[in-house]
Amino acid sequence: MATTIEQHEETKAKAEPELLGLLAEFDDPDELIEASMKVRDAGYRKWDTHTPFPLHGIDEAMGIKWTILPWIVAGCGLTGGTIAVGMQYFMNAVDYPFLISGKPLFSIPASIPITFELSVLLAAFGAFFGMLGLNQLPKLYNPIFKSDAFRRVTNDRFFISMDAKDAKFSEIDTGEFLKSLKPIHVEEFWSDTESAKLPRSLTLGLSLVGVVMLLSVGLVAYLRTTTSPNPRIHIIQDMDFQPSLKAQNTTNLFPDGREIRPNIKGTIPRGQFKDDNIPFYYGLKYLPEDQDVVVIALQDEKKADDKKATDKKAPTDKTPAEKPAAPAVVDPIAAKLDKLPWVTEFPVPVTEKLMARGKERYRIYCSACHGLGGEGDGLVSLRAMELLQGTWVKPASYHTANVRKLPIGRLYHSITNGVRKMPAYGSQVPPEDRWAIILYLKALQKSHQIDANTISEAEKRKLRDTK
Amino acid sequence: MASVTAEPIDTTIEVPGKRTPLVTGAHDYGTVTEAVCRLAECKTPLSWYVALGISASLMGMLFGLIGYLIITGVGVWGNRSPVFWGWPIVNFVFWVGIGHAGTLISAILFLFRQDWRTGINRAAEAMTIFAVICAGVFPGIHIGRVWLAYWLFPIPNQMSMWPNFRSPLLWDVFAVSTYATVSLLFWYMGMIPDLATLRDRAKGKIQQFAYGLLSLGWNGSSRHWHRYERAYLLLAALAAPLVLSVHTIVSFDFAVSQLPGWHTTIFPPYFVAGAVFSGFAMVLTLMIPARSICGIKDLLTDRHLENMTKVIIATGSMVGYAYAMEFFIAWYGGNRYEMFAFINRAFGPYAWAYWIMVSCNVISPQLFWIKKIRTTPWMIFVVCIFVNIGMWFERFVITVTSLSRDFLPSSWGYFQPTIVDVLMLIGSFGLFMTLFLLFCKFMPMVAMAEVKSVMPRPSGKGDH
Repeated sequence: MATTIEQHEETKAKAEPELLGLLAEFDDPDELIEASMKVRDAGYRKWDTHTPFPLHGIDEAMGIKWTILPWIVAGCGLTGGTIAVGMQYFMNAVDYPFLISGKPLFSIPASIPITFELSVLLAAFGAFFGMLGLNQLPKLYNPIFKSDAFRRVTNDRFFISMDAKDAKFSEIDTGEFLKSLKPIHVEEFWSDTESAKLPRSLTLGLSLVGVVMLLSVGLVAYLRTTTSPNPRIHIIQDMDFQPSLKAQNTTNLFPDGREIRPNIKGTIPRGQFKDDNIPFYYGLKYLPEDQDVVVIALQDEKKADDKKATDKKAPTDKTPAEKPAAPAVVDPIAAKLDKLPWVTEFPVPVTEKLMARGKERYRIYCSACHGLGGEGDGLVSLRAMELLQGTWVKPASYHTANVRKLPIGRLYHSITNGVRKMPAYGSQVPPEDRWAIILYLKALQKSHQIDANTISEAEKRKLRDTK
Repeated sequence: MASVTAEPIDTTIEVPGKRTPLVTGAHDYGTVTEAVCRLAECKTPLSWYVALGISASLMGMLFGLIGYLIITGVGVWGNRSPVFWGWPIVNFVFWVGIGHAGTLISAILFLFRQDWRTGINRAAEAMTIFAVICAGVFPGIHIGRVWLAYWLFPIPNQMSMWPNFRSPLLWDVFAVSTYATVSLLFWYMGMIPDLATLRDRAKGKIQQFAYGLLSLGWNGSSRHWHRYERAYLLLAALAAPLVLSVHTIVSFDFAVSQLPGWHTTIFPPYFVAGAVFSGFAMVLTLMIPARSICGIKDLLTDRHLENMTKVIIATGSMVGYAYAMEFFIAWYGGNRYEMFAFINRAFGPYAWAYWIMVSCNVISPQLFWIKKIRTTPWMIFVVCIFVNIGMWFERFVITVTSLSRDFLPSSWGYFQPTIVDVLMLIGSFGLFMTLFLLFCKFMPMVAMAEVKSVMPRPSGKGDH
């Protein structure tokens, strides 16, 4: 019983309507303006006029202050522009640099369009939502709408509404005052007796929909950030799964049931013809019995080299680079290479033309590091030494006793496969050119060791002139 | 609330010393409301259902074809090497251009205090939104893998990649999406007071609820109106440069590339003029039948139509000037590839398209110099149809003739559209018309509040 009484009291408390204000209706805009001036002059603060269209002159008549909206819009526009510039700079110049034809990573002219668009977009949001916010809209429930007469406010009638909260408001005096303005009629509007709450079923339904939506979003977020033993759901296949046959699988397409196909009869493996001319292609007189020696030697050399590089990462000596291949330790790879049967005679005819070709190729491919004279003082090397990074191995001079001693086959091997820090040039320089370069290299070595007295006067003069 | 004037007047004649009224007939505030709201309130005529049925079927065809395209791939279009920008891009530029008239009318004419805009701005803005929707469809499906369309936007992703902000195509994404958003805000904001009118007049529960929700509780407060007018002015001031920027950026898609015939500095102004030109033609094409069918001739008078034809003469002449100037610069610039591109345009395999474009865009608008044509609605309608056709061909000529003669003569080709291309263009008109018909039926087609504010006040005072 107690609960019923309580409920009853509650509804009773709710049912007590409260006077919210008064409405005066006019049918002429100019009458409204005149009336507004009187309300303004009477000293009311909480009141308003309602018109079907923006009435010119009403702002002055009511004493409406200038809105701050333009400042909101300006602020939003500036924010948009700043975001746009920052976004373009961060995304294209910092986080994911786009280098296109050597153009600057960030430039003002190219970022103007998007900066402009985003400024306008945010300013427009500022204007629209700022207007709604300042007007406290959307406000879907308003007790003033209960007045039937007020429905014509959006059609052809003009209203003055007086808020009961105004300090000067009193039901009788204000009513009399409004009547003195000669409106069509004056009416009161009251607070609602019924709850403005949504029906319970609707609230429940809406919150259920909201929960389901949140759950699905949460599930997607969870699945994106965690791992799973199951393969991901592959909605868009793109070309991830192709019906093409793969090695190691079986098929019914061929009688032998293998997807991988054997070579067709008479197939020649790549590089096989090299074995016809071993000195020319390998720089060796013959391939040793244990052919793997060559391969292993190369692989070991590479590994050892990498190890050396990592060892050198923390150099104690400021110029470790100037000490290539420390001779104190016996290099097992070098020892292996030394034992191979390198050619000592050129496997190609030595001609003036070959020498010219060698000089030209040398200057293109080798001189950048080795220097024009082969002293290991090329521009790249000089610059690298200057940087003191500790990882550079200075190219060996051709004019040391060790290098002069090397058989030409060994030089050929170095060009083809690289040595120490020198990369392999086999893919860029064809075998003929490698031999041409070696020929020129031998000529360079000879030029540094020759006795000046053995040169004729004519030759000397010629050399001086060319200098 | 005395009526202004009872006898019909010819608003296309200027009487010195007398202001020509923007609203004809014996209208007061109430009858303006009545005239506009009647469309949403009265029983829907059968013809509307028929028109909607046809449009919606065409729209359904468009969506069906889009589904076919997505499942099959872009090979269903006629886009082949070297013309990879075929009809989809032509349609995109065409529709975006159409949209420009709405914003121009609502923003630029507003800033210039051209009060006659109040009669047409709502419908023109609606047309803008619908045209931009049609435009947005084409680049969206042109990217090939539609499900990756979000790559166009700078969204953090597992590839740790960002889009290239120095590409005009990305500028285009920002320009068109900003334009669509701002146009929508502008249109919707303008409609809030009129939606409140519909709300207050609605009889059915569903209408009351829907219009009530959309009108956001608007109660005509003068304090609200004050901020509303500020916001409207600011939006207009923002939309005016925006509308100029959009077609400028669309023209960058072409002008920033190196292709002869595209790589010209005249493109931005020429594209903007063309866009306004085509947009006004489309507004007239829609409004001439609509104002008769909907019975709003008093609000959308012959004077409105005449004013718009004058804009068409101006922009049409600008477009004609641009065509001539392109040729002049091709010759004057001394670049023989450029020269070839233009000679090929006018006398090459696409000469037929070029001359359709010239006759529709340059010659037909000049007919508006004749007052008789300018003031006869059906004649305006015919000319505008020609302008619409001509402007579609302009984009076709620009896109296809330049691409079909690219840098490698061995890959030169002749573009041929497929049936899917043709049906998609038709389908996009279906989408456009469906949206427009729904708008005519359910939304206030004329900006009532704005029309009322430019009507003379009943007391005769305060005429501004």
